[in-house]
Amino acid sequence: MAIAPERTAAPIYEGSRIPQPVPTLLQVPEEIQATGDVLEVNFGPNHPSTHGVLRLIVDLYGEEVVGLEAAIGYLHTGFEKNMEQKTWWKAITYPERIDYLSYQNNELVFVLAIERLLGLEVPPKAAYMRTLLCELNRIHSHLIWLGTAALELGAISMFWYCFREREMVVDLSEMVAGARMHTRYFQAGGLAEDIPPGFYAQCRAFCDWMPKAVDDYERMLSRNKIWLERTQGVGLLSRADAIALGQSGPVLRASGVDWDLRKVQPYLVYDAVDFDVPVYADGDVYARYRVHIDELRESTRIVRQCNDVLEGMQGEPWIADDRKVVLPPREELHTSMESLIHHFKIVTEGYRVPEGEVYVTIESPRGESGCYVVSDGGPKPWRVKFRAPSFVALEATATCMRSAYVADMIAIVGSLDTVMGEVDR
Amino acid sequence: MSYEGVPGVVETNEAHGETTLVVDPARLVEACLHLRDEDGFDFLSDVSAADYLGWGSAGPSGYIGNAWGRDLNRPSTAGYQKVPAPKPKRFAMNYHLLAIETPPRRVRVQVWLDDGEAVPSVIEVWPTADWHEREAWDMMGIPVSGHPNLKRILMDDDWEGHPLRKDYPIGGEPVRFSEAE
Amino acid sequence: MAVDKPLRDLGLKSERVLWPTKGPGKFETEVDNLEQRVGLTTLGKAVAWAHSKSMWPDTFGLACCAMEMMAIVSSRYDIARFGMEAFRSSPRQADLLIVSGRVAHKMAPPLRQIYDQMLEPKWVIAMGACASSGGMFNNYTILQSVDKIVPVDIYVPGCPPRPEQLMEGILRLHEAVQAGVPPAYELRPVAS
Repeated sequence: MAIAPERTAAPIYEGSRIPQPVPTLLQVPEEIQATGDVLEVNFGPNHPSTHGVLRLIVDLYGEEVVGLEAAIGYLHTGFEKNMEQKTWWKAITYPERIDYLSYQNNELVFVLAIERLLGLEVPPKAAYMRTLLCELNRIHSHLIWLGTAALELGAISMFWYCFREREMVVDLSEMVAGARMHTRYFQAGGLAEDIPPGFYAQCRAFCDWMPKAVDDYERMLSRNKIWLERTQGVGLLSRADAIALGQSGPVLRASGVDWDLRKVQPYLVYDAVDFDVPVYADGDVYARYRVHIDELRESTRIVRQCNDVLEGMQGEPWIADDRKVVLPPREELHTSMESLIHHFKIVTEGYRVPEGEVYVTIESPRGESGCYVVSDGGPKPWRVKFRAPSFVALEATATCMRSAYVADMIAIVGSLDTVMGEVDR
Repeated sequence: MSYEGVPGVVETNEAHGETTLVVDPARLVEACLHLRDEDGFDFLSDVSAADYLGWGSAGPSGYIGNAWGRDLNRPSTAGYQKVPAPKPKRFAMNYHLLAIETPPRRVRVQVWLDDGEAVPSVIEVWPTADWHEREAWDMMGIPVSGHPNLKRILMDDDWEGHPLRKDYPIGGEPVRFSEAE
Repeated sequence: MAVDKPLRDLGLKSERVLWPTKGPGKFETEVDNLEQRVGLTTLGKAVAWAHSKSMWPDTFGLACCAMEMMAIVSSRYDIARFGMEAFRSSPRQADLLIVSGRVAHKMAPPLRQIYDQMLEPKWVIAMGACASSGGMFNNYTILQSVDKIVPVDIYVPGCPPRPEQLMEGILRLHEAVQAGVPPAYELRPVAS
């Protein structure tokens, strides 16, 4: 269900622009190297416009980028090895910090993997709340993306406008989970705590305010001559190249592929809510911007629908009942011996997840985020691997950067919406 | 979906709604080309390497507690309720594939490798495998033959060792508590 | 010139010559108690006041803490009230290095290089648990506290710290500067 279905996916350019022999390395052609005019510049790990610690080693021929190499690893945190040392419950705090702009989505993918291995059913209230929080997180991530991408191209006021709404989103997170970021609210089986009663009214107020805010952003940028000049026709990525390079999410949808995991492979309650998927076929930075803006509106719709359903679900259980995995309610600890034993074992020893391997994917704000979990039947994960969409998006920089100027380079890297925590894990 | 025609498949497993094709490493590229061209898996989602050194060595421990495999004073050292089935070799390289169509199809291609045994690169089949294979080399030490640019990607260029291996220590520093000084 | 006589007795005769019945003019009454209208201070205090009221941070956002650092620039928390909204991209123009996020071993040389490129006086705030002590990542790749490579003035705990927490850290730094505490590089070497 695309918003712009009439745009056909005619190829944007002929053939493939993926560099050979190394797809991620744009090499300076012989004849240009021979002129002796090529300047090698290091856009170092500390740079205001590279969205974190990305290092680009760029060869410039005048203003044009003729050679590009992306060097990553400056934020490598060893998440996967750390998670192997902790129990399943404690390990949930780690995935959040991988993609620090969409922390709920990262938590979700890991928790869904645990639940699939356990075969655990989540109550509907938890499913709806998870959907609501993940969509709020999508709004949060797109707002920060828009604020910083516009800031780098010179539209500095957008930063303050977007962060004004971002504060409203983190206020909702704080109300629910007690923390602005990295809430650690999802558990294997549902949610950590019940939803506070004042949440529904504040969420509804946010949903009423948000479309006007998005109108504000569009009024500032969408028909702004400078914005159009800087983003249209820049960073082209055709449909075939995008699929070959493993792109997903807004980058893929801006290249004309109608692909959203929330629609084709619904998880949580995405098949019960009504929303559209924006698809644009131009494959340039402007198309990616339009996809993000439209997704802001669609996410607000989803949040509103989930909020309405949740308001009618007050008093229902928010976590599954399986006492081998989920802590019993505290009142029961005073009266039931089994609950006490369960509580003790879960807290000291941790629950055990049956042996197996599973690969779960969700649609995070950046694309297809996946978690490959191998369990040996013990209390700790054996191997956890996260498929980070930004890692793959950076592989496409060399392809998008064909015949780009230095100024376009900033626009292109910004439009790929990379978060370096995710790239380096 | 039947995977009869895929060359090199040694075994097919189904679990948790996912299909795993265990493929002979020497025929990996052939199998991947078949999957991409004939079966429509045009999207390589992820390449994950796993190290199974010490798999199952924690031993079983009963629900109440046995003489081995569990120490009440050290949490999360509980053993297994059921010892897991042994694995054929030390390393597994998993390729998660996706077919972009409605409904989507996913499959996992798995190859088993010994320490030092190289896996052929699938970069000709899916260009996105470039960085994934470099990460497998960097983190797990699985050499990839035929890769045009096999350098370290996440660690320093001159780092020694492959951090995600099970015999590589977690590192870090012991935490000091002020009363203990 | 005798300074115990008020200024009106020392001169400004012309107006009174022409207009004998007019009393002291506005100018004379204003400069009357000049000594009470002029602030006196030492050079050190004045310079410390200037340092703390416009301490420009360097854009050194690494990870999640960088989001909260960007939030203090936003309109709700507004660090512009304290003269610090001008985040400089070049360390040569920055006074304050807010290390916000986890520092991998690969990133440590660039961090030290940025610190060295800053001009004195310079201050360092270790924002968040990862910069202060390695945080939850006690492993082979994360530097267990940035004070191993740069001397730190203020540690702000949190994961990530709220914008108000960061501002509390910044304001305490301002107070320390105004109280005359020298920057950390004069006080202690980096931890080994």
